[in-house]
Amino acid sequence: MMRVIVNHSLCQGHARCEDLCPEVFATDAVEGKVVIVQDEVPAALEDKVRLAVRNCPEGALRVARSGPAEGAE
Amino acid sequence: MTLMFQPSPPDHVPADRMVDFDMFHIPDGVSDPAEIWHDLVRRGVPDIFYTPHNGGHWVFLRYEDIVDAYRDHTVFSTYQTPVPPIEPFPVVQPQGVDPPAHNVFRRLLAPMFTPTAVRGMMDELERRAAELIEGFAARGECDFITEFAERYPTGTFLYLFGLPEERLDEFLALANTFFRSTDPAARARNIGEIYAVLDQLFREKERNPSNDIATQIVMARDENGAQHSWEDILNCGFLLFVAGLDTVTNTMAYIWRYLATTPAAQKHFRDRLDDPDGFLRGIEELMRINAVSNLFRRVTHDCEYRGVQFRRNDRVVLPNTVANRDPRVFKAPQVIDLDRKVNVHLTFGVGPHRCIGSVLAKREVMVSLQQWLRRIPEFSLADEQPAGSVFGGSVMGFTALRLRWEVAARQAAA
Ligand code: HEM
Ligand code: SF4
Repeated sequence: MMRVIVNHSLCQGHARCEDLCPEVFATDAVEGKVVIVQDEVPAALEDKVRLAVRNCPEGALRVARSGPAEGAE
Repeated sequence: MTLMFQPSPPDHVPADRMVDFDMFHIPDGVSDPAEIWHDLVRRGVPDIFYTPHNGGHWVFLRYEDIVDAYRDHTVFSTYQTPVPPIEPFPVVQPQGVDPPAHNVFRRLLAPMFTPTAVRGMMDELERRAAELIEGFAARGECDFITEFAERYPTGTFLYLFGLPEERLDEFLALANTFFRSTDPAARARNIGEIYAVLDQLFREKERNPSNDIATQIVMARDENGAQHSWEDILNCGFLLFVAGLDTVTNTMAYIWRYLATTPAAQKHFRDRLDDPDGFLRGIEELMRINAVSNLFRRVTHDCEYRGVQFRRNDRVVLPNTVANRDPRVFKAPQVIDLDRKVNVHLTFGVGPHRCIGSVLAKREVMVSLQQWLRRIPEFSLADEQPAGSVFGGSVMGFTALRLRWEVAARQAAA
């Protein structure tokens, strides 16, 4: 399973991720920073999520694989 | 008054990093002020150089260095930064304040401009764009800057601040003096007028709270349950007034000029009127190519960065337009690729001060172009262009853009 890992201290709320893949990313109403809507990315959205990750101007996002070996990249 | 933030003479600058460059001077015949910046790269000047013009300042040309400067407020501060140096300079909230104090107004404003918040503004943004365009569509021509690019963001400000439409001309006049006047006395008077208008507005909103951003700012409470200082409230209103007008106006001017001379790009967007993701991808690329802002920073203490000596109070200028064409970051940076997939442009800055209004600004441009193309599917530059001026500085742009189109084509499309 693909998961998204957020470094909240880097996120500045550009919302590029939400624009590119609103199924997985949203922007909260407290600080205007990213929140992950779905922890586990459905296979059909993996490409969109990768694109969102690469477009984050702060480098605040990355993806990881988790399955039987929890947390393995 | 003791001046505390004046740069020292540049005797710490090595001769090979000295370049004769005036960011406010656009030579005759240059129609795109960003070209004076791209020219530096073509000439191969050092990536980090110093110019004695405008009080003396550094310029960073590499994407990576510009990002470092945006991110590290402990060296590159936004407090008291103007180029040329003016003191004291109004401390706008939150742009003129370094973290962590910066976070107070940042946290207050950021939630008001998230995609969800901006979605709630969309009907009004669309209605306003359509109304302005309908005002001239049947005429077959318009003066794009005065009839649209200035009026639209100023109208958006009125809407966000809960001000009546009747005040549009008053606010346009205030903004025009602020952005275009070169007379110091007129400018000082103008800033006083803007603050007076904001003072009256916030007092009115305090008495009669309504559902707008001005009310949210004046009614906000700090961690001790107290209202923010009145000075900070005014400084925040002032920033929101100046941050979202000239930037949007000139971004639109650049974009419409490019489209008017590039029929294939008009078609690209026409073909995507029902594909918001594809449309936005194209807007994002136009944002990369037309980055109108050059930002200022002030060095906080004597230090070394990338082997270069900096002195306290040295000014640093960050040209986003150069960062956005750095070949180390962008594939084929000179190509305008309206389908560019990875586009980490710095048009809205990066780091703690990155533009709070970036989502709104992009939606303003997107909605305007959608409404425009639905009514004016094809357009070009008019043969006669009015006399105007081209200006550089912290926001770059130009003041004349006359467009024309076939009215028959429009009726056929309707
Ligand atoms: C195309 C239009 C725009 C451009 C190119 C632009 C660009 C920028 C840039 C580069 C910064 C960073 C400043 C710095 O690092 O010192 C910034 C900050 C800011 N912008 Fe924009 N902006 C635009 C539109 C808007 C709009 C429409 C608003 C209205 C809400 C806005 C509000 C702000 C605010 C409040 C800040 C300060 C944020 C902070 O200091 O934390 N901007 N903008
Ligand atoms: S694009 Fe990056 S910085 Fe922007 S909201 Fe998403 S995670 Fe945060």
